[in-house]
Amino acid sequence: MNPLHLLKLEWSKYFPNGSFRFFVGLYAGSFTLVVFLARSVGHNMTFDSNGTTSHPLAGIFDYPNNWGLLACIGSWMNVFVLGTLGVFMITMEFSNRTLRQNVIFGLTRLEVAVSKLVWAAALALGATVFYLFLGFGGEILDGSPGLPPAQDVLFFFIQVLGYLLLSTLVGLIVRQTALAVLGYLAYVLFLETACRWIFYFSIAKTRLLLFLPDQVLGALTPLPVPETVNHYVSSNPFTRPLSPSEIAVTALVYLGLFAAIICRRILKSDL
Amino acid sequence: MPLLTVKNLAKYYGSLAALNGLDLTVEKGQIFGLLGPNGSGKTTLLAILLDVIHASGGNFAWFDGTEGDHARNRIGALLETPNFYPYLNADQNLSLVASIKRVSNPPLDSLLELVQLKDRRRSPFKTYSLGMKQRLALAACLVGDPDVLVLDEPTNGLDPQGMVEMRQIIQKIAAQGKTIILASHILDEVEKICSHVAIIKQGKLLATGAIGSILSDQPTVEIEAPDPEKLFQFLSNCFLVKKITRQDTRFILELAPGRNAGELNQLAFEAHIVLNHLVMKKQSLEVEFLEITRT
Repeated sequence: MNPLHLLKLEWSKYFPNGSFRFFVGLYAGSFTLVVFLARSVGHNMTFDSNGTTSHPLAGIFDYPNNWGLLACIGSWMNVFVLGTLGVFMITMEFSNRTLRQNVIFGLTRLEVAVSKLVWAAALALGATVFYLFLGFGGEILDGSPGLPPAQDVLFFFIQVLGYLLLSTLVGLIVRQTALAVLGYLAYVLFLETACRWIFYFSIAKTRLLLFLPDQVLGALTPLPVPETVNHYVSSNPFTRPLSPSEIAVTALVYLGLFAAIICRRILKSDL
Repeated sequence: MPLLTVKNLAKYYGSLAALNGLDLTVEKGQIFGLLGPNGSGKTTLLAILLDVIHASGGNFAWFDGTEGDHARNRIGALLETPNFYPYLNADQNLSLVASIKRVSNPPLDSLLELVQLKDRRRSPFKTYSLGMKQRLALAACLVGDPDVLVLDEPTNGLDPQGMVEMRQIIQKIAAQGKTIILASHILDEVEKICSHVAIIKQGKLLATGAIGSILSDQPTVEIEAPDPEKLFQFLSNCFLVKKITRQDTRFILELAPGRNAGELNQLAFEAHIVLNHLVMKKQSLEVEFLEITRT
C-alpha cells in the first residue's frame, strides 16, 4: 500500500469534480473576504482616525495575535465549508456507488480507508498553506505578519483535519448527501451545544463538557482576546478555556478516534 | 487447481437467508453461468466474492488463496449497474481503473474500440445511454487483461440490439480463453454462451455441472389441437408420453425413451384428433430450469 499512490487516486477522482472545485473556491474566497472585512470593520471599531487604540480588542491586530485572529476567522470556513465538503466527498461515493466499485476494481478495503485519511490530511495541509498565504500575502491583517507561531499553524492544521474527519465519519454513517450535511451542520451548530447545556443544567456542572468534539476542535483557534477579557471569562470554571495542552491532547485523541471509526466502518460494513 | 472455491457460504439479513450454505467450484477456462430467479442470491454471492459485502459464514478462495486481498486485481467485474464517476469521461474513468489495478499504459484505444465507444471517449459518463454505460463497464472489466471476468446481468436493461452486441462482445472475450462467471436470468443467453452452469434458488445450490449434463438428451414435442381439452385427455392416457407441461392451449411433452413425434401424431389421428401444431424441440435449459427450480 502506497499512500502517495492513493493520494493520486483521490486527486484524479475529486479534482475534476465541479462541486469540489466550487467548495475549494468558496473556502478560499470566503476566507479572504472575511479577512478583508475583519480588517476594515475591526480597524474602524478599534482604532481612532489618528491610529491610536480606542478599544480593548485592538490588541488582536498586533503580532502575534493577528495570526490567531486569522486562524479564528478561518475556523468558520473550516467548520462550514470544508466540513460540508468532507460530507459531500464521501456521500458522493455512495450515491454514485463508486466506493464499492473501487473495491470491485481491486482496491482493498484498507486501501480505501487509508485513501480517505490521506486525502483529508492533504486537504488540511492545503488549507493550512492557504492560511499561511493569507497571513503573509499582502499584509491583509494589520501589523507585521512576522513568523507565524508554530502552535497557531499546528492547531489550525489539526482543526481542519478534525472537521474533515468528523464530516467524513458523518457521511460514512448517513450515506445520503442531504441528510448527512444536515446532520453534520446540526451537530456543529447546535446539537452538541444543546446537549452540553442540558447536561450542565440538569445533570452535572462539570468542566468535562468542554471536552466534547466540537468544543475541542473550536478551541484550537480561539479569538486572541486581551488578558482583561480572558480573565473575566476564566473566572467561571465552566467557561474557563481549556489550556493549550488540554486542547492539543484531546484533539489528537479525537483525530485518532475518528480515524479509527472511519477505518472500522469501511473495513466492516457492507458497501 | 480450481480458480474459485466456495464452501458453505452463507449470508443472513436478520432471519432472511440470502445465501444458505452454498458450495461451488469454478475451474480455469470455464464459462460458468449462475442461474436463478430474482432474489435467489446470485448478486449477493458475487458481491461477497468481490468483497463488497461480508459473508455471515463459510468461506471462499480465488486462485487457491494465493493472491490474498489482491485477487481482485486479476478479476474484471461488472456487478449490477455500471458505476463510474459521472463527471469523468471514458478515458478518465478507465485510467482511474488502470491506476487502481496498477496497470501502466492501459490499451485504452483497443478497449474502447472493442466496446465501440471510441467516438464518445471524451464525453462525460453521465451523458451515456445505458447500453454505452454497460459497454464502458465491460471495457473497465478488461483493463489489465484479467484472468477472470465476473459479469452480473450484463445485458440488463439493454434494447434487443444492445443485447446482441453485448453478447457478441462476451463471446469474443470467451473465445480468448478467459474464465467468465456470468449471472443471468436470460436462460437463452446462458445456454448460448456458457459451458457450465449452477442453478440457485433461495440461496441454495440446486444443480451444477456442464450444460450438457444439466440438459436432458430427450427432445421435447410441442403440440396443439383445436380442442385442447380433448387433446389433454388423450395425452393423459397415452403411453408414448412421459411428461406433460401445459402452456395455455399448447402442450410441451417429454416422450418416453425411444419414442418419436411421428408415432404420437399417428396415434392422435387414430383418436380423431388432428394436430394443427407440432414442433420438435431439443430440451431447453428453460424447461430444465423451471423443472429444477419448481421443487
